[in-house]
Amino acid sequence: MTGAAWAVKRLARQPLRTGLSLAGIAVAAAMLLDMVMLSGGIDRSFSDLLLGRGYQMRLTPKGTLPFDTEATIRGASAIVAALRREPALEAAGAVLGTSLYARRGDSLITLFAYGLQPEAQSLYQLQAGRDLASGAGAGVLLSEPAARLLGAGIGDTLTLVGRLDPQVVTAAAGRRLVVRGMVRWLYDYRGQPSVGMVLSDLQRLSSSPAEDRASMIVVKARQDSAVPGLVTALRRRFPSVEVSSVADLVATFHERLVYFRQLSYILGSMSLIVTVLLIATLLTIAVGERLGEIATLRAIGVSRRTVVGQVLAEGTALTIVGGGLGIGLGLATARYLDAILTSFPGLPAAFSFFVPRAGALAFAALVLLLTGSLAGLYPAWLAARTPIAATLRAEAT
Amino acid sequence: MRSALPPSFLALVAVLALVRPAPAAAQLPGIAVERRLAGELSLRVGDTLRLGAAPDSMRGVGVVAAIYEPRPDPAQITKQDRYVRMHLPDLARLLGAPDRVDRFGVALRPGIAPDSAAARLDRSAFGYQAYPSAAIASESSQTFLVVSRFHRAIAVITIVASAVFLLCVMLLKVEERRMDAAVMRFVGVRRRTIFGALLLEAAVIAVLGSAVGTALALAAGAATNAYYRRFFHTALTFSLITPGIVGFSVALSLALGLVAGAAAAWRLVRTRPMVLWGRG
Repeated sequence: MTGAAWAVKRLARQPLRTGLSLAGIAVAAAMLLDMVMLSGGIDRSFSDLLLGRGYQMRLTPKGTLPFDTEATIRGASAIVAALRREPALEAAGAVLGTSLYARRGDSLITLFAYGLQPEAQSLYQLQAGRDLASGAGAGVLLSEPAARLLGAGIGDTLTLVGRLDPQVVTAAAGRRLVVRGMVRWLYDYRGQPSVGMVLSDLQRLSSSPAEDRASMIVVKARQDSAVPGLVTALRRRFPSVEVSSVADLVATFHERLVYFRQLSYILGSMSLIVTVLLIATLLTIAVGERLGEIATLRAIGVSRRTVVGQVLAEGTALTIVGGGLGIGLGLATARYLDAILTSFPGLPAAFSFFVPRAGALAFAALVLLLTGSLAGLYPAWLAARTPIAATLRAEAT
Repeated sequence: MRSALPPSFLALVAVLALVRPAPAAAQLPGIAVERRLAGELSLRVGDTLRLGAAPDSMRGVGVVAAIYEPRPDPAQITKQDRYVRMHLPDLARLLGAPDRVDRFGVALRPGIAPDSAAARLDRSAFGYQAYPSAAIASESSQTFLVVSRFHRAIAVITIVASAVFLLCVMLLKVEERRMDAAVMRFVGVRRRTIFGALLLEAAVIAVLGSAVGTALALAAGAATNAYYRRFFHTALTFSLITPGIVGFSVALSLALGLVAGAAAAWRLVRTRPMVLWGRG
C-alpha cells in the first residue's frame, strides 16, 4: 500500500473528525483564494478598464485625475492638434464631462453629458443605431438608463439645455439633437443617465465656446513600449497640464484602495495560519492515539522515514481535498463579496474587485499545499521519535 | 439644512506658490492653511503666497494667517487633496466670480421640519436643490455603508471558519479523554458525571480560549489603529472593539464549545468501556 493510500484509509477511519477538518480547511482555503483575487484584482480590473479602447495616456488639468474634479483644460483643440502632429502618436481626442439638462414638458431632467471627438473616442461601445459623426449638430448618444429616464429612443429629438441661471430662472443655452444611437459608457456607474455628443455642441451648452474647454485629453501611442518616454516628453511640452500613463493612474488608484490590499494580505495570512493549526492539531492528536500502532510498525521493520511519510501524506491529503472544496466555495463567496464592493457609489459598473488570475491562483494553491504539508512536520517528528519498546510495553498493560 | 447650486467652482483652487515673507501682510487677504499642506510647503504664519485657480493664472496674493488641523474625515483619508480656507469675498475675487457660491447653510427656527422646509425652498426657485442635513449625511455615508457590509460578510466567513475550527478542536480534545473515561466507567463513575465533567472541561477551554482571543483582538485593534493613524495622518479610529462585540464573540465561542463538547462527550459516554479501553 502506498503512503497516500495509507493516509486516505487512516482519514476515512474517522469520518466525523476528517469531515470537520476538511470543512475548516475548505473555508480557510476559500478565504485565501478570495484574498488572492482581491489583492491583485483591483489593479488588473482598473488597468483593463482604462485600456479598454487602447488609449494609454491621459492629459488632465494640473494636479488632478480624470474626472476627479470639475477643473478643465482651456484651449483643448490646440493641444489636440499639436498631439496629432506627433509621429509617435496614433490618436488624440478631447473629452468634456459636465452636467446637462433635458427638457421634458415643464420639468428638467439632470443628465451627465460627455462631449467628445468621434474620430478619437475612448469612452463608449456602440450597442444600437449609428455612431456620432464629426461636426456640430451630429446628434446625441444615450445610455440605457438615460433612454429609460427620458423615455426616448433612436430617432427621437431631445431638447438639451445648459448653463442654468438660478437668478433669472432660465437656461443660457439650448439645443435640439436627434438620438443617433444607444451606447454603453465604459466608466459610468450603475444606472448613470449619460448622454454623449460632439465636443463643440457640449462646449456651447456648458460654457463659452471661445474658452474651448475639455476635462481630459486621451492619447494613444503607436507602440506600448514607447509610452513611458512619451509621457516624459509630453510633460515637458505641456507643463500646464497633468500627463499620466495608465500605469500612473493605476498606481494612484492602488494607493487610494490600499486598505483593501492590506486587508487581503492580513486575511490571506490568517487563512494560512488557520489551515496550519487545524492540520497540525488533527495530526498531532491522531499520532498520539496511534502511538502503539506506530511502535508496532517500527518493531516489525517499517522504517522511520516511511512512518514520517505517512503522517505527512495525511496532511497533504487533507490539504488537497480541503483546498479543492475551497475553490468552489471561494469562487461563490468572491461573487458575493464583489457584488457588495462594486456597489460603492460612483464606481464604474464594469469594475471588479475580485479578479481570478491564473498565475496568482496557482501561487496561492502552491503556498496552501506547501503550508498544509509542512503542518504535518511536528506530528511526523513525534511519530518518528516514538520509543518502540516503552510504547509497546505501555500498550500491553 | 443646506442648499446646493449645480456644479460650479467649488473644487477650489489648490494652486499655490510661495513668494516671499510678507513685509506688509496687513493689506493682503489672509488664508488659513491645512497643517499637512503647511508641512509639505514649509509654510509658517506670515508667509506670503501667490494664489490662482490654474497654474497659468496665478494672479492672487495672500498671506498665511493661520495653520489649522482639519477635523478627521473618513471620506478624505485616501485622497491627496489639500485645503486652504479664505474669506468668501477674497475667494470670489480670486476666481473672478463675484456673488456665486456652491452652497449655503440655512438654520431653521425651532419646530420647523427640515423636510418640509427643503420642499418649500425647492418649489420657490429654479436652479438649486435644497437638502436636509440628514439627507446629505445619509448620501455621503454610502461608501462607509458598503465597507461596513463588506466587513460584515468577511466577519460571517471568519465566524464560520472559527466555528468549524472550534468544533474540530473540541471534538479532538474530548476524544483524547477516551482512556480516562474508560477508567472512570470501570471504577463505577456514572455516565452522567462523566458527561458533566467533559462538558465542564469544554466550557473551561472555550472560556479560556475566548479570554486569550479577546486579548489578542485588543492588541490587534490597537496595532491596527496605530498603523492606520500613522499611515493616513489622521486621528480616526479604525478598529473599535466594543463590549457588545466582545460579549457576542465570547457567547458564540462558549455556545459552540459547549455544543461540540456535548456532542463529543455524548459519543464517548455511549461507547462501551472496553471499546474505550481499546479492547472491545
